[in-house]
Amino acid sequence: MIESERRARVKKSTSLHLAMEAAETLRQITEFPDNPESMAYFYDLYQSRFKDGMILPQNGGKLVGTMCLQVPDELIVAAGAVPVRLCSGAYAFDQAGGDFMPAKSCPLVRATMGMMQVNNDTLKENLATVVIPTTCDQKRSSAEMLKSMDYPVTVLEMPATKESEEARTYWQESVKQFALSIQKICGRKITVKGLNAAVRSRLEAGQLYRSLQQLRGEANPVILGKDLWLVANSYFFDDPDQWCRAVRKLIAELEKRKSENFSAINLKAPRLLFTGSPPIFPNLKVPILVEQSGGVVVADETCSSERLLHDAVAFDEKNLNDMVPAIADRYLKPCTCPCLTPNTDRAKKILDLVRLNRVEGVVYQAFSGCLPYEMEQRVIGDMLSREGIPMLFVETDYSPEDQGQLSTRVEAFIESIKVRKRKQQ
Amino acid sequence: MNSVRRFLNNSDINRFRFYFQLFAFALLIYGGYLAINIGDQLPTFACVFNDKRGGSCYLLGFQHQMTFPYARLFSGAGIGVLTGLFTFVIYFVFFNKAWCGFACPLGAMQDWLTILRRKMGIYYSTYTEPAFKGLSTIKYVLLALLILIPMGIGNSFFGLPTLNHDFAVPFCMICPGRTLLPLFSGDFSQLAIDFSSKTKMVFSGLGMAITGMFLAGAFVKKRFFCLFCPMSALHYIFSRASLLRLSKDGDKCTRCGNCYRVCDVGIRAIADDLDHKNIVKDDCMMCLKCVSACPEDGCLKASFLGLPVYESTAEGFFRRRLQKDD
Repeated sequence: MIESERRARVKKSTSLHLAMEAAETLRQITEFPDNPESMAYFYDLYQSRFKDGMILPQNGGKLVGTMCLQVPDELIVAAGAVPVRLCSGAYAFDQAGGDFMPAKSCPLVRATMGMMQVNNDTLKENLATVVIPTTCDQKRSSAEMLKSMDYPVTVLEMPATKESEEARTYWQESVKQFALSIQKICGRKITVKGLNAAVRSRLEAGQLYRSLQQLRGEANPVILGKDLWLVANSYFFDDPDQWCRAVRKLIAELEKRKSENFSAINLKAPRLLFTGSPPIFPNLKVPILVEQSGGVVVADETCSSERLLHDAVAFDEKNLNDMVPAIADRYLKPCTCPCLTPNTDRAKKILDLVRLNRVEGVVYQAFSGCLPYEMEQRVIGDMLSREGIPMLFVETDYSPEDQGQLSTRVEAFIESIKVRKRKQQ
Repeated sequence: MNSVRRFLNNSDINRFRFYFQLFAFALLIYGGYLAINIGDQLPTFACVFNDKRGGSCYLLGFQHQMTFPYARLFSGAGIGVLTGLFTFVIYFVFFNKAWCGFACPLGAMQDWLTILRRKMGIYYSTYTEPAFKGLSTIKYVLLALLILIPMGIGNSFFGLPTLNHDFAVPFCMICPGRTLLPLFSGDFSQLAIDFSSKTKMVFSGLGMAITGMFLAGAFVKKRFFCLFCPMSALHYIFSRASLLRLSKDGDKCTRCGNCYRVCDVGIRAIADDLDHKNIVKDDCMMCLKCVSACPEDGCLKASFLGLPVYESTAEGFFRRRLQKDD
């Protein structure tokens, strides 16, 4: 009795904190001048979703929680369920997770686990299963933890490399098994028609994301990075059709801005690329700070935005035996997650984005405790310095405490790029 | 110019190729009815055993010329051999391996079998990577044999007795083009085992067996025969000199593998090779399906004399993928 009361109290206080946190992030985001009008949809979406501490979609159907972007959404949709990405960016949940997670674990995993613990009752009721791909150590180990919290867990076996043909076929087989088990869990058979519709829906979202990315990479960016993150992040839980409609509206407005030669920011603002551990709402601390300090994020290489939506499935023959492996390919082959070895594709991708978007500096965020990103920082940094692109490496977490120290560093970095630009002219 | 280019890049090359193959098939199989002959040194299987053909495959003439004794080969007659080869190269240089993907009647037949299989809902087979590597050397062995065996007729190797004239066109004897293509103009005479001599019996028996394998193989494996085709091996020798090129910009490649997935012959390098600009491999038939499946702007590109003809674009990719709903 006492235990359940304690739980209810923790749940209540956590959701209160979450609502405050979300409101604060939204306040900072909307404080920028010239926010696109069509962003209102997204501001409202976050406002309503986070106010009572839950982010679950409300559009009916069985929910399948995913713990990584490596989970093929298309298969879940085709099996008649609604995928929702559970990765959390909330400090409130991070603190809740701190009760039982190692102090040095990654805040993203800690927050996600905190959320799963605090909202155990509601989530368990709603989630048909939680899918965890065997990506990084901490995500992998959370599978066992979730099981001990009585969640139905589906482990999706993923190779630690993608170079060899053997790794590819192993992953294809793994995804095939996942397709079989997800249709059993959801009680609906995956059909060619259903899967094709799911693939098309994903393709549409990808196409829209690419247009958005192009618009922010313009010589005068018509949208800021902070807004783009909100848009991409909401794909975690929003209804894909509504999402596409809202993004289409946003793109139309931005196209108009473009034709009017409008710029969302001072043209002298240093153009930056953001990479590393994923900023997930409400933890948009660093990206917001960058743009508050006079920079503009014109591109990103993170798994909460670019990597989530950029890549596209192409199959050759419309039958399940070709479509399922084609979907598998999309989730492994172009992946640039540092849990893969070797990960030369990430450096390549960053370089391509730098060139495409005329990037002048890179901000590399690593969550303390996220070893893969922390370790890969050197390789990326060396590569960029060879190309003459300065990089700022920030190690941070979800707590607001390092805000002051961070803003000094970010401002100095942006100032140094400005000085460099002036000298070059 | 830009709008023309955009139109091309947005187009569906597969549909174009399907109709072009029909046209090329009709031309090469029935051209004779209209007294059309586009050449006798064609780098594609326009089979000489078909009387109504609109052109001739180079390999038959080439094998014949290889039967010349050395003395004749290196005399004035050698000029004829060289002009033959030169004509072949001229034809080839224009379209590179697109001869295989767009013109070859045997290739078209295999693609039609693939369409039939797909309509029946049967899944295709693939080779494992080591099997693929092993099998793809066979075409070079066949190429070497189709030169060496005829040479053994006019010349004695290591003092061995020379071969008789039944060995004159060894590859044609086993080529499924010889047995199948004349059928389209109503000539069934090639579809038989020739018992007139032991050599002919063995060769034509092999030919019949290979024809069977061709039909069965192409039904379950896309472009089954092309992996063994000696014409493809001969092409590859001159491929670098071609005016039509398929190139890849490794910097723009995300290695998503879409190109590899749609590749009918299963060339992995198209997705994973980031270093080479010229991406035409020996098994490639330049069907350009890879270009149409690539979602990155300017990553894969077919160009003629340096002028881009068909280029991968995100716009074209999404248009094709989202429109296509057959």
